[in-house]
Amino acid sequence: MSDALLQASGVTIRFGGLTALTDFNLEVRKGDLQGLIGPNGAGKTTAFNVLTGVYLPTSGEVRVGGARINGQRPHRINRLGLARTFQNIRLFKEMTALDNVRVAIRSTSGWAASMLRSGGFLKEEAQLEARARELLEVMGLSHRADEDAKNLPYGEQRRLEIARALGTSPGVLLLDEPAAGMNTREKADLMVLIRELRARFELGILVIEHDMKLVMGICEKLTVLDHGETIAHGAPAAVRADAKVIEAYLGEAPAHG
Amino acid sequence: MKSFAPIAIAVAALALLQALTADSPYFTYLALLVGVNVVLAVSLNIVNGLTGQFSIGHAGFMAVGAYTSAFLSLWLHEYHVSALPESVGNQLFFVVSLLAGGGMAALFGFVVGLPSLRLKGDYLAIVTLGFGEIILVVVRNTPALGGALGLSGTPQHTTFFAVWFTVFLVVLFSRRLLASGHGRSLVAIREDEVAAEAMGVDTTGYKVRAFVISSFFAGVAGALFAHFQSIITPGDSFSFVKSMEVVVMVVAGGLGSTTGAVVAAMFLTLLPEGMRAVFQVVGGDNATLSQSIDQLRKPLFGLLLVVLMLTRPQGLFGTHELWDLFKKKRSVAP
Repeated sequence: MSDALLQASGVTIRFGGLTALTDFNLEVRKGDLQGLIGPNGAGKTTAFNVLTGVYLPTSGEVRVGGARINGQRPHRINRLGLARTFQNIRLFKEMTALDNVRVAIRSTSGWAASMLRSGGFLKEEAQLEARARELLEVMGLSHRADEDAKNLPYGEQRRLEIARALGTSPGVLLLDEPAAGMNTREKADLMVLIRELRARFELGILVIEHDMKLVMGICEKLTVLDHGETIAHGAPAAVRADAKVIEAYLGEAPAHG
Repeated sequence: MKSFAPIAIAVAALALLQALTADSPYFTYLALLVGVNVVLAVSLNIVNGLTGQFSIGHAGFMAVGAYTSAFLSLWLHEYHVSALPESVGNQLFFVVSLLAGGGMAALFGFVVGLPSLRLKGDYLAIVTLGFGEIILVVVRNTPALGGALGLSGTPQHTTFFAVWFTVFLVVLFSRRLLASGHGRSLVAIREDEVAAEAMGVDTTGYKVRAFVISSFFAGVAGALFAHFQSIITPGDSFSFVKSMEVVVMVVAGGLGSTTGAVVAAMFLTLLPEGMRAVFQVVGGDNATLSQSIDQLRKPLFGLLLVVLMLTRPQGLFGTHELWDLFKKKRSVAP
């Protein structure tokens, strides 16, 4: 058995006659920074949804922290140590930035303690708030703590999503196009931040992105999908030189090339 | 025990208020009506407002509570606890039957909620709508519950104190709920169920819990209602119209606002009474005139709601609370 925090082996998923993902294999260990790339419609988000329990694989299995998660509900999978962000931002809009993060941090106080506001409950609430503020600070959002999530600018909403995901204390963090809609400068800052997060929280990180340049810059390992099939897997330099990858992104190579 | 201080204050204040108003039966009667509606509105707000689910069968749970407690009270009425004076024994029985009414409603809430809340979407509305109707049909055809004629002779134990202490408890519960991880989980479900689930919130579990708690308080409200009406019938007081009335209170107050639900429930319960008083003055001595003006009450009531929804679709308070105002002021001061 490997010590991978997240492991997909032979995952295939079919929707009726369409095979969205074929024999998908992936392993994320502590400290990994991997990229999952491919053209639009290649099956990247489908792969994410299988990993997080939104879809049930037709065959193959997914393990989180060693436990098989096929058929488990997403909140159980999250508690096993897998957190994600969403491609189309899904924040709790009417809640403050602080509360968005607090929802994610697990509270152990029971109903009776919460209603009677016992000493233990108040202490835990204080710890929870401190932790949430710390995460906001890491993501550079301290000044936004008391603002409703919906009022934050776009780039900050993306960062708040990451702060929220970190609140669940994951072993592996899945980022679904974290840089979508950002300008070049913001993208560069985000990449630096992702690296810092990995070091600080000892995470394994898997990033979906279709901006090749961006993932090439920070990921140590890439998996390339096209039409649901894994067409390349390995270090960025090798992937970039791969004929199949060039074909998928740029169209067929000239016959003599 | 700081957390019990508000309870002690409430007990003292309500007991004082009860003593002061004891010689005004009209005030007491209105206060009971208003109080029961406030409990219904605030408890429905836990499901419809905080958790973002849509239940339209609150009167059904109220009926379960009313009939359970009335049935139990009629039976307990035959007995008395020999060690206690009769009035104390009666109060004890009353509390027992209130809790039994709430407990039975909570049980029904669990049975109704579990299958329908596992699904996303509007299933809860459909199921609760059906439930409200089924309960009434069952009651009408159960001779032991008085059938269509109703259950009469329930001892009239409900006091101003009992109703408003329940109001106090349900408001305190809502408020403390929001200041806890449980409440935040409920609101997260309202805001985005998929994201809440992905952040480790057991969405089904929390939706069912919210629904059970809400049903419990509806049951207690029904039990209180049964103990000041001398007769309860499977008619208007527990019908779909009653359920919609409570939904209107919650929406008018602002979905998700506890204080909004309180204010809207008070206002909408007293409005018809207030209009009656005004129209009687306008009509003067002319009985037929005042009567025909009185007929305008219902259309005016509807018109008022239309105007409210057009001008403030988020309800009177939106998702805000009265106590937020004080909080903001306090934080501005150094």
